[in-house]
Amino acid sequence: MTQAIVLDVPDLTLDGLLDTPAGRALLSCIQCGTCAGTCPYGEVLRYTPRRLIGMLREGFIEEALAGDDLLSCVTCYDCWAKCPRGLRLTDVLLPVVKEQVLLRLPQVPPELQDALANTMRYGNPMGESPRKRAAWVESAGVPVPLLRDLGRPVDVLWIVECYAAYYPRGQDNARATARILNALGVDFAILGSEEKCAGECARLVGEKGLFDTLREQNLAVFGKYEFGALLTSDPHAFDAFAYVYPALGLDRPVDHTTPFVAARLDALKPRLTQELGYKITYHDSCVLGRHNHVHDEPRRLLEALPGVSLVEMTHNRDSTICCGGGGGGMWLDTFYKAKGHPRLSDRRVEEALATGADVLAVSCPYEVPRFEDSLKVLGGDDRMVVRDVMELVAEALAD
Amino acid sequence: MPEPTENLQESTANGWEPKIVAFFCNWCTYLAADLAGTSRMKYAPNARVIRVMCSGRVDPQFVMEALARGADGVLVGGCHFGDCHYQAGNHKALRRFRLLQRVLMGLGIEEERIRLEWISAAEADKLRDVMNEMVAQIKALGPLDLEVPAEGFPELADVEEVTA
Amino acid sequence: MSAETNGQPKIGVYVCHCGTNIAATVDVEAVQEFAAGLPGVTVSRAYKYMCSDPGQEMIKEDIRANGLERVVVASCSPSLHEATFRRATAEGGINPYYFQMVNIREHDSWVHTDIAEATAKAKDLLRAAVHRVRFHKPLERSRVDVNPAVMVVGGGIAGIHAALTLANADKKVYLVEREPSIGGHMAQFDKTFPTLDCAACILTPKMTEVRGHPNITLWTMAEVDKVDGYVGNYKVTVRHKPRFIIEEACVGCLECIEVCVFRRGKTPDEFNLGLSMRKPVYIPFPQAVPPVVVIDQDACIEFRTGRCKKTCVEICADRNAIDFTQTETFDEVEVGAVILATGFKAFDPKRTPSYGHGVYPNVYTAMELERLVNSSGPTEGHVTLRDGRTPEVVGIVHCVGSRDVNTNEHCSRVCCMYSLKLAHLIKEKTGAEIYNFYIDIRAPGKGMEEFYNRVAEEGVHFIRGKVADVYPEAGNTGRVILQAEDTLLGRVRKIPVDMVVLATGLEAQADAEAVRRTFNITCGGGGFFMERHPKLAPVSTFTDGIFLAGACQGPKDIPDTVAQAGAAAAEALALVDRGFVEMEPNTAYVVTEECSGCKTCIPLCPYTAITRVDGKAQINPVLCKGCGTCVAACPSGSIRQNLFEDEQIYEEILGVLADA
Repeated sequence: MTQAIVLDVPDLTLDGLLDTPAGRALLSCIQCGTCAGTCPYGEVLRYTPRRLIGMLREGFIEEALAGDDLLSCVTCYDCWAKCPRGLRLTDVLLPVVKEQVLLRLPQVPPELQDALANTMRYGNPMGESPRKRAAWVESAGVPVPLLRDLGRPVDVLWIVECYAAYYPRGQDNARATARILNALGVDFAILGSEEKCAGECARLVGEKGLFDTLREQNLAVFGKYEFGALLTSDPHAFDAFAYVYPALGLDRPVDHTTPFVAARLDALKPRLTQELGYKITYHDSCVLGRHNHVHDEPRRLLEALPGVSLVEMTHNRDSTICCGGGGGGMWLDTFYKAKGHPRLSDRRVEEALATGADVLAVSCPYEVPRFEDSLKVLGGDDRMVVRDVMELVAEALAD
Repeated sequence: MPEPTENLQESTANGWEPKIVAFFCNWCTYLAADLAGTSRMKYAPNARVIRVMCSGRVDPQFVMEALARGADGVLVGGCHFGDCHYQAGNHKALRRFRLLQRVLMGLGIEEERIRLEWISAAEADKLRDVMNEMVAQIKALGPLDLEVPAEGFPELADVEEVTA
Repeated sequence: MSAETNGQPKIGVYVCHCGTNIAATVDVEAVQEFAAGLPGVTVSRAYKYMCSDPGQEMIKEDIRANGLERVVVASCSPSLHEATFRRATAEGGINPYYFQMVNIREHDSWVHTDIAEATAKAKDLLRAAVHRVRFHKPLERSRVDVNPAVMVVGGGIAGIHAALTLANADKKVYLVEREPSIGGHMAQFDKTFPTLDCAACILTPKMTEVRGHPNITLWTMAEVDKVDGYVGNYKVTVRHKPRFIIEEACVGCLECIEVCVFRRGKTPDEFNLGLSMRKPVYIPFPQAVPPVVVIDQDACIEFRTGRCKKTCVEICADRNAIDFTQTETFDEVEVGAVILATGFKAFDPKRTPSYGHGVYPNVYTAMELERLVNSSGPTEGHVTLRDGRTPEVVGIVHCVGSRDVNTNEHCSRVCCMYSLKLAHLIKEKTGAEIYNFYIDIRAPGKGMEEFYNRVAEEGVHFIRGKVADVYPEAGNTGRVILQAEDTLLGRVRKIPVDMVVLATGLEAQADAEAVRRTFNITCGGGGFFMERHPKLAPVSTFTDGIFLAGACQGPKDIPDTVAQAGAAAAEALALVDRGFVEMEPNTAYVVTEECSGCKTCIPLCPYTAITRVDGKAQINPVLCKGCGTCVAACPSGSIRQNLFEDEQIYEEILGVLADA
C-alpha cells in the first residue's frame, strides 16, 4: 500500500523535477495506463499522468502545459494509490505541472479566480470576513475558547478550516465537534479570526505562490502560541500540516477530528446513548481515506453509535470515488459543466443510493454540499441525507 | 547527532576524510559488499575491508589496534541472528562487542566510532546505507587522534573469560 | 621493480584492469607502480585480464623465472577467482596458500566514482595484502569422504526431474514432498504453452517412474526438520506427518472413499482450489503418486467424535491399510548433497482487493481456470461460470501481483504465456470474446512469439493497459466491468465481461524464509532463494553441497525448470560422484605449550571440536569448520587459525592504515 510521506523538496518546480529522487523515479514509468484507467476524469482528461510522463521524458511537456486540460485533475490520489511503480503522481508530479498550466492560462475560470483571490485577501475562498470566522461559536452551546483569550498553552489547537467555519452545513460539523471535544474533556482552543486557510487546495490546483503566502502567515500565527498538537476538521488541511508544512518548520503532531475522536472512543462510548436507527453508508474521502488510509476509524465510530447499521458501497476504502471537490474542483463546477464533464459527486451518490442506506456519512467538509446537491439533482434527497461523522456522533451523545 | 569537536573544525578545513576499518564475515556481509558491487551501487569510499570467516573471529584487540593505528572508526559486519554460517558466531561477536564498547567509552571514544551490523548477503542496499551513514557520523565527530595510554590498552582477552 | 628484499620472501604483485571494469575507476598503472615500491615486492605487473590464460601464465612464469615466493593479485572478489589464482600459484611451483587476493572491483571500482579516491583505496587494500602475505604459511587441503546419496526437497517437476537424473546415474535419492502426492503445480495444469501438450501426459510417466525407481526413496507428507553436518556429509532429519493410511498396504482401490459415511464431500478440494468438494478420506487426484488415499484429520468424524461407523475400515478388510493411531515420525538420513526444489506460491489476489476476487463470483485466478479447462477438473473441462452459464465475454487481467511495487516488483515471467494459453483454450471451448489486458507481452523463448501471433490471429483482443478498476455492471446483469486505459488508442475502455481471469504472479513460498534458515542459504529479491552467482553458478548456493532447482530460485516456466533441475542434478552428481571433498585448511589449532587450560574456548565451539586433554585444549581438525571464534576468545592467545593468523590480520590493519 502506497504511504503518504512528507515532501522533502517543498519548493519543487517542474524545471527541477528530474533532479529529485521522486522526479527521477518518474523515468521508470512503464506506461501501463493505470493512472488514466482509474482517474475519475480519465475519459475526459487528455494529458493523463501517463502521457505527462511520456511527454516529460521526451521533451514534449510544453504541449501539455498549454490549455486548460489539466484543470480537470481533482487530485484525488487515485492514480497515486494504484500506480504499480509507486510513482508520486498526485503529491509531486501533478502540482508542479498544474502550476505551469495555471501560469500559462490566458484566463483562469472566474469561479476559481474568485476563490483564489478571496483566499488571498480574506484567508477563505468564500470571501467572508475573517472576523466572522468564529461566529459559529455563539451557537455551539458549549465553550469554545480562543487561544488568544486563554493566555496559556493548550494541548490541542483545533484548526476549524474554512468550510466548517463559514459554510452553514459545515458549521453543523464544527458545533458537533465542539460538543464532542467538550464531552471528552479535551484541553483545546481555536484561533478564530487569526486562522487562515491552510492552502492545500491552492497548492494542488497549481497556485503555489498563494500556498506559500498562507503557509508563512499560518506558521507565524502558530509561532505566537504554545500548543501540543494540531487538530483539524478538514482532511486537506491535515495533509498540508502533515506533509508540506514540516519541511518548512512545523514540528507538532497533526490529527484529523475523525481518527482523533475514534482513538478516544472508549471514553466516549458510555455517553453514546441516543438511539439513531440509521442505515449508514460511509464515503471514504480521497484525502483522509485513500491518501492517509484512515478507513477503520470512521467505521469504528459509526458502529459504536446505538441503532446504526453500516453498509458498504461498491467502491470503498482505497478504491473510493472522488466527490470532485479536491485540487480546486470545489471552484470549477461551472467550468466542468461548460466542458460537459460528468459530475463526479453524482456517480458517488448513485452508488450510495444503491446501497439502500438512509445516511451518507462523510469525514470531509467539502463533501456535504457536493453530495447534498447531487442528491437533489438525482432525486434522492427524500431517501438519503448527508451527515459528517462528527454530526452523527454528536447526535448520539447524551447531554 | 553528536556535537562537532575542535578536531573537526580543523580537519574539515584541510579536506580530512575519515578512515574506517571494516571486518566483514565471509558469508554474509562480505558477500553483501560483493553484491553492492555487481549491482553498481555507489557509497562512500572511506572503509577498508578485512575479510574474516566469521564476525566471531573479530578479536577486540583488532579493533583497538585499528583505532590506535589511525582508524577513525571500525565497522564489524556479520550475519543476522539465525543466519550465522557457524550457528552462533555472531552472538559471540555481539557479546564481545558490547564489552568492547564499554571499554572504549571508558577511554573517551564516542560509541558511534565502532559499529556492529548484521548485513545478509542479499542486503547490498543496507551495506551501502550503513557505509554512508557511518562516514557521515564520523565526519561529524571529526578525527579520532587516539592517544595510546603509556601502559597500553587494557587486555580485553582478560575480561573475555568472565563473559564467555 | 625493487631488487632488494632483505631476506624477506619475494612477492609478486599483479593488478588487473578487468577490461575497463577496474581500469575505468582505478588508476591501475599507478597502483602497479605503487606496489613496486612496497617492501618485498620484486615483481609488479598490470594486465588486462589476470584471470585469462596469459594472465595466469604470467604468474607461473614469474614464480619459475624470478623465484617468487608469494603472490598477490588485485582484481575481483575472491569468491570469484581465488581458486583460479591459487591454482596458478601452485602450478607455478609454490604452495597455493602463498597467495592473497585483493578485491578492487566489487569493493572498489564498481562502488565508487572518484578515480583518486578509488585508486587510494586500491593502494591501501593492496598494501594490506602485501603485508599479510609475508606471514602466509604453506598449507594442505584435507580430504573428507562424501556420502554418495542426495536428498531432493520438493516433488514438483523440478524435484522429480532432478531425482530421476540422479537415480538414473545410480545414486541413492531421497525425495521429500510435503503434500500427499508428488506432481506439484504442473499436475494441476491442463495444457502447457506454447506447444499445448497435455501436462498430465508428460508428467504422469515421470511420476510413475519415481515411484518405481529402485534408487529413489519417496517420502510424501514429509518435511525437512533439521540439517546438520557439512558438504558431503549432511545429516538430515525428516518429519513424516501421519497419513493414517499404511502406504505399503493401500492398493489404491479407493473403495474407502466410496463407502465413507460422508455421502458427499464437504471439504474444499485443495487440488481443485476449492472449486469442488472432497471427503475426509480422499486421493488428491486420480494420477497421484503414491496412488494411496489420505485421511484429513480435521474433517474425519472418527477423529472429531471417536464414534464413526468406520465403514472405510470395514471395506478395507484384511488389507488393513487404515491406521487411525499413526503419529508423527522422524527419519534421519545422511546425504552428500541436497537439491532444493521447493517451488513457488501463486499470488493471493485478496491482496489486491480492487480486482474483486472473492467479492464477485465470476472473478477467477488463472490456477482456478487451469482446473476449469481441465477435463479431469471439477467441470470435466467445461468452462462455465458459477451459475452454470457459459461465458460469452472473458477478460484476462495480466500482471496481478507482478510488476507492482505494492505487491511484487518482479515480472513473474510465465503469466503472459499462460494467459495466451488460457485465452486459446477458453476460446476453443466456448467461442467467447476474449480480452487480454496487458502492459507488455513477454514472449521470449522457443515458439513463444509464434504462439502469441497464433492466438492474436484467433481473434483474441489485446488491450494495452493495466486494469485499474473492476466493478459490477449496472442492472444486475452478473457481469463486471473491466476498466482500463487502452494506452495504444489513448482512451479509457470499460468492457463488461462474464468472467474475469486474474493472471496471478509467482511468489516465493510462504515458508521460504524458514527453509532458508534450515539449509543455511540466502534469500534474495522477492524472497526467492539466492544462487551463488547469477550467471556462473546459477544452481549453486553459498553453502557448498546445497543446490537449487526450479521456481524456488525465481519464477520460471516448465522448460527452464527442467533444464535447471538437470543442471542441479549434474552439479550434485559432480560432487558426490568424486567421492571426496577438499576442505579449506582454515582450521584452528592450539599451541599446546601456551595453553593455560582455562576452558574458555570449549563451550564456544558450535561443533564440539575442542576437548580438554591432559589439562590442555585440543582441536579436532576434522570437526573444526574454521570460524575462528575460539581464536578471538582465547585469553592466552594460544589458539591460532590457519589463513587467519593474528599476525596476518594485524599486518592487514597496519597495511590499510599505513597512510593514516
